[in-house]
Amino acid sequence: MRPRPLVRLLVVLGVWLVPALVSAQDTNPPDVLVSRQLAESEGLTVGSVVRLSTDAAGTHAREFRIAGIYEPTPDPSRLGQVPRSVRLHLPDLLEMTRPVDVPAGAEYVSSVNVALVDPKDADQFAGDVNARLPGVLALPSGQAAGSAGPFRVLERFHLAIAVVTIIAATVFLLALTIMLVDERRETVGVLRLIGLPVRRILAQILLEGLLVAGVGAVFGLILAVLSEQLINHFFQWRYDTALVFVRITKDVALTCVSIAVPLGASATVVASWALLRRGGLRLARR
Amino acid sequence: MTAIGFAWRSLVRQPARAALGILGVAAVGALLFDMLLLSRGLIVSMQDLLDRGGWDVRVSAGELPSSGLRIPNAIDTADAISRLPSVQAALVVRTASVQIDRASGQPIRASFQGVATRSTDPAGSRLRAPWTILRGRDAEGPNEVVIDEKLASESRLEPGGTITMRASCVADLEALPAIRLTVVGVAEFPFQSTNESTTGGTFDALQAACGGNVGSEADLMLVTSKGDADGTAAAIRALRPEIRAATNTEVVGRLQQTGFTYFRQISSVLTTVTVSFAVLLITVLLTVSVNQRLGEIAALRALGFSRMRVVKDVLSESALIVGIGGLLSLPLGLLLASGLDRILKGMPGIPVALHFFVFERQTLAVHVALLVATAIIAALYPMRIVSTLPIAATLRDEVIG
Repeated sequence: MRPRPLVRLLVVLGVWLVPALVSAQDTNPPDVLVSRQLAESEGLTVGSVVRLSTDAAGTHAREFRIAGIYEPTPDPSRLGQVPRSVRLHLPDLLEMTRPVDVPAGAEYVSSVNVALVDPKDADQFAGDVNARLPGVLALPSGQAAGSAGPFRVLERFHLAIAVVTIIAATVFLLALTIMLVDERRETVGVLRLIGLPVRRILAQILLEGLLVAGVGAVFGLILAVLSEQLINHFFQWRYDTALVFVRITKDVALTCVSIAVPLGASATVVASWALLRRGGLRLARR
Repeated sequence: MTAIGFAWRSLVRQPARAALGILGVAAVGALLFDMLLLSRGLIVSMQDLLDRGGWDVRVSAGELPSSGLRIPNAIDTADAISRLPSVQAALVVRTASVQIDRASGQPIRASFQGVATRSTDPAGSRLRAPWTILRGRDAEGPNEVVIDEKLASESRLEPGGTITMRASCVADLEALPAIRLTVVGVAEFPFQSTNESTTGGTFDALQAACGGNVGSEADLMLVTSKGDADGTAAAIRALRPEIRAATNTEVVGRLQQTGFTYFRQISSVLTTVTVSFAVLLITVLLTVSVNQRLGEIAALRALGFSRMRVVKDVLSESALIVGIGGLLSLPLGLLLASGLDRILKGMPGIPVALHFFVFERQTLAVHVALLVATAIIAALYPMRIVSTLPIAATLRDEVIG
């Protein structure tokens, strides 16, 4: 991984953007990047010179030139907060935020990202740093990504809702198949009377069930793919984010089909079973 | 026989399909009820949580009290605020991260809330800290703390015991010398999250724990007005334009626009999907049921049943399925809501006392209204079938078929 030209420090709310644009001066002001959302809301463009201050009063404001506008990496833990942020070079940020009694070079930074030659050494490296530098906490990236926590919970929540939906759908499916099978009572009775064994009729019903469930599952997937776009567009517009809220992956599609098709076929067979236990004459009787 | 009685007999005649239809409605209705509880649950719960302490205005440096920014010159600001005529008391809250040593095992990570009350009103100066004492008494001295139940059970501490803590007051990774404090009470902290431990004490106790390294900043200021919260918030904003003052209702409003909006949106989407699902399935159930009984219905019409009467029978059947299913959906929904609430409260940073699913009368009213609408809409197509049924042709088809 190559080091980034700009230190990835997100200055959120700590640095106030003084909205008044100022004219470019003789000295070249340092570069900053502004988030797309901030640029849109304040009408900022590349090349504009802005003044940044660490407080709302604008004391000790410094001029910066907007070198670029960036799309913030979608952060699930900041959902609902429009990322109005500015990225500065670390020395510029420290220059602005350093308390008067702190000498240069002794400032506090919240975190340091380290790229290892071999990422597999992350655990060993973190252990070494923790042992050698008391007061510093080193964590491999996987463990440091604590913000994924809420989304694991949401995943469980959505799974629970999916289970309830499947239960409700199964109950309805059973009710429907019982009615549909009952509608074909006479046909089944005639088939029994002309000599078709129960197993043969059951196989036919199972095949029919599989076909109907398969078609239903495909239709459901098409509906899901169409609604995927709709839901993503809506929520991306609503939260002004590039986050993807719904994604129909191959695994998700396979899981849905592997639940829906056997469920549909089983419901047909279960509903038919009671009917097939009756005699042919009784079934064919009007 | 009334239409309802007749519809009841139709259902009882085919108990399996009726029971399955009702169970299906109950399951869908439970999900619908839960989504309605979820749509306003967080808002209602948060409003209740904010109002519970008696502090009706919150002052912070950021847009929301939990923004992480600190109020500068907090004690002076609190003094100035407490002198406003509409203010009864102001409470300065500063939080620090602490590690609590244990005789055996890893130290426990917790937060320490240091509070200081400022008031020129005799009633206001007696206002208590934003926690509720469960056992023992409140912390008053610079070497006294109260702890939460979780910490009490993990450390086997009760009022009278002592704890050794190391605070990090400015930066998370500071390593300050340990300090011994006396536990004088066990308290409930309303905004404590499920996965953290909290201790509380006076601002002086926090100063002692931080070795004086607290400065004059505060995380939050809680203000009790003399009745006019809106006027008090406006007066504070006028007094100190650089800080944010919001009433509890305004805080909830801001949360509604940011953190809580996801659950409202997801609840709206799932409510729409659930109602559509229920309408579709009940329509299919009733349509198939009616189609199977076309001969019977035509015979009833021939015997003198009016068109309106057979339409009413179908509507009553729909009402019975949805009504009984809807009744069953209430206990089922509450049961499901408690399970889903437990799942969602696993999110880090969610206060223990906050609930995602909260029952309100208006939620029940909306649930009933949606079910009534479902019963009517689902019955529209089968009602049309029976109302336009040609009596003679249907009877002839039945005989010939």
